[in-house]
Amino acid sequence: MKKLESIKRYLNKPSRIAYVFLAPSLIVLLVFAIIPLIASLIISVMNMNIFFTDTSFAGISNFIQAFQDGRFWNALLNTVVFVVFEVPLQIVIGLLVANALTKTTVFNKVARSIFFLPVICSMAAIGIVWSILLDGNIGLVPYLLEKIGIPNATFFRDVKTAMPTVIAMTVWKNFGYTMSILVVGIQGISTSYYEAAQIDGANKIEQFFNITLPQLKDTLGFCLITNTIGSLQVFDQVYVTTQGGPQYKTETLVQYIYKTGFSQPYNLGYASALSVLLLVVILLISFSMYRNMFMKTD
Amino acid sequence: MIKENKKSEIAFKIIKYVVMIALFIIVLFPLLWLLINSFKTEKEIIGFPPTIIGTKYTLKSFVRIFSNIPFAAYIKNTVIFAGGTTVIAVIFDSMAGYAFARLKFKGKNALFMFVLLTMMVPFQVMMIPLFLESNYLGLLNTYPGLILPKATTAFGIFMMRSYFSALPKDLEEAARVDGLNEMGIFWKIMFPLVKPGVMTLAIFHLMTNWNDLLYPLMMTSSTRMRTLAAGLALFVGEHATTYYGPQLAGALISVTPLLVLYIFFQKYFIASVATSGIKD
Repeated sequence: MKKLESIKRYLNKPSRIAYVFLAPSLIVLLVFAIIPLIASLIISVMNMNIFFTDTSFAGISNFIQAFQDGRFWNALLNTVVFVVFEVPLQIVIGLLVANALTKTTVFNKVARSIFFLPVICSMAAIGIVWSILLDGNIGLVPYLLEKIGIPNATFFRDVKTAMPTVIAMTVWKNFGYTMSILVVGIQGISTSYYEAAQIDGANKIEQFFNITLPQLKDTLGFCLITNTIGSLQVFDQVYVTTQGGPQYKTETLVQYIYKTGFSQPYNLGYASALSVLLLVVILLISFSMYRNMFMKTD
Repeated sequence: MIKENKKSEIAFKIIKYVVMIALFIIVLFPLLWLLINSFKTEKEIIGFPPTIIGTKYTLKSFVRIFSNIPFAAYIKNTVIFAGGTTVIAVIFDSMAGYAFARLKFKGKNALFMFVLLTMMVPFQVMMIPLFLESNYLGLLNTYPGLILPKATTAFGIFMMRSYFSALPKDLEEAARVDGLNEMGIFWKIMFPLVKPGVMTLAIFHLMTNWNDLLYPLMMTSSTRMRTLAAGLALFVGEHATTYYGPQLAGALISVTPLLVLYIFFQKYFIASVATSGIKD
């Protein structure tokens, strides 16, 4: 009891108590983030399966296997297609809606609240809703489309339409997210710019391109980078709706990693190598974006 | 010139309201459709032609989701996992954020860099070793196993650091003069002052963990330990073309708690997104 008191007294100094405050977080980050990260690099050069039979050093053979693996390239391509279409769509729609709803009026507030609703819902639930709404046999949307003269809408079921459908569903769910960030950004722009522009006779479109866009550059850059990094990890929406099909047309990198490691062939070494490649892709893309956007000296 | 601007402004207004109302329908319709169809009979959900309103309402789909899969356990697991993680992570993040923001100590910059480093590594990269580690520690299919790896986030530490930094200087000096110890200063004085930050962070943790799919999917192989998102996703995988009613009823139940919280704490939901920028 006395000992505890003396420890307490010893620690009761800002320079000492700091470590007590930091310890829980740092231990969690060390054990559940840093160690797994390092282990991931190690496992990626091992032959290892989930049952630990035949564990051995593999060198770079897992990486060579990846470069010769058509399914890896397919998954990478699908992921890139997803990012290239989903991210700009989400940002452009989010921006246009944010721009229209910036002023604090009752209508705008209600609209912003409603557009945020899908952001709160889990992708699992949203995936269920859209799968059934768009179903070729019982879905309401294909039925309505047929009525207005567009028969046989296939959505998730056809190789050509599956990925666009996954992208559209994701934009539907997430544009409210980007909108919320950009509303805050636009509200932060000084009104004096717009007042001056109005006196000069600039219309709304000119104001948008000459004031709003340039002033929002940093916020947009931030959205672009974070959305890209997030989208490169796309998994949930595919897992719930198409499971990667049809014919692997919607299989993404994370989906392929998950399948390789946690279902047949339970190949952890190879799955780790794939996840290291994902990390490299993410770091390369985010670093080059970051440099282009924020480090330009002009 | 001015007249023309007036005209174009009116035109803009009209376009704006037309587009916004169209967007209302696009966003709200699937959610309302979910609500209505959860109460329809299975026969009517798969019936042709599909109806919007339906004729008969029943609770059968809800009964079936509870009897077909351990749905009650999923609800309990999700509450414990997401709720427990939120409480612990908010406390850990706040303590660490406070130390970085207000205390002077050796190795501060190095440790802060260490925290930032973990922010840049995507979860998927450490997913496999994390699974092995949890397996080794006997944490798979347990609540501590679900909660501990998520018990702090670099983002949360970063965010709480900026909230604590914004508090007026000398606040703790006055408390020290009054004889309050360091723990007391944090809990009794500083922590209550960052309530908006704590609320925002709590919503952030609650929303990400409640909705998370890949992580609980990986950490729980036992059916009884699944969370709502993981359990529903697997249920859909097994019964893609049957059990439409139970799928919808399950989805409705799984989104309802957060939507109810959203009604009361909308401000914090939006803030958690606007400050995070980390999409999960």
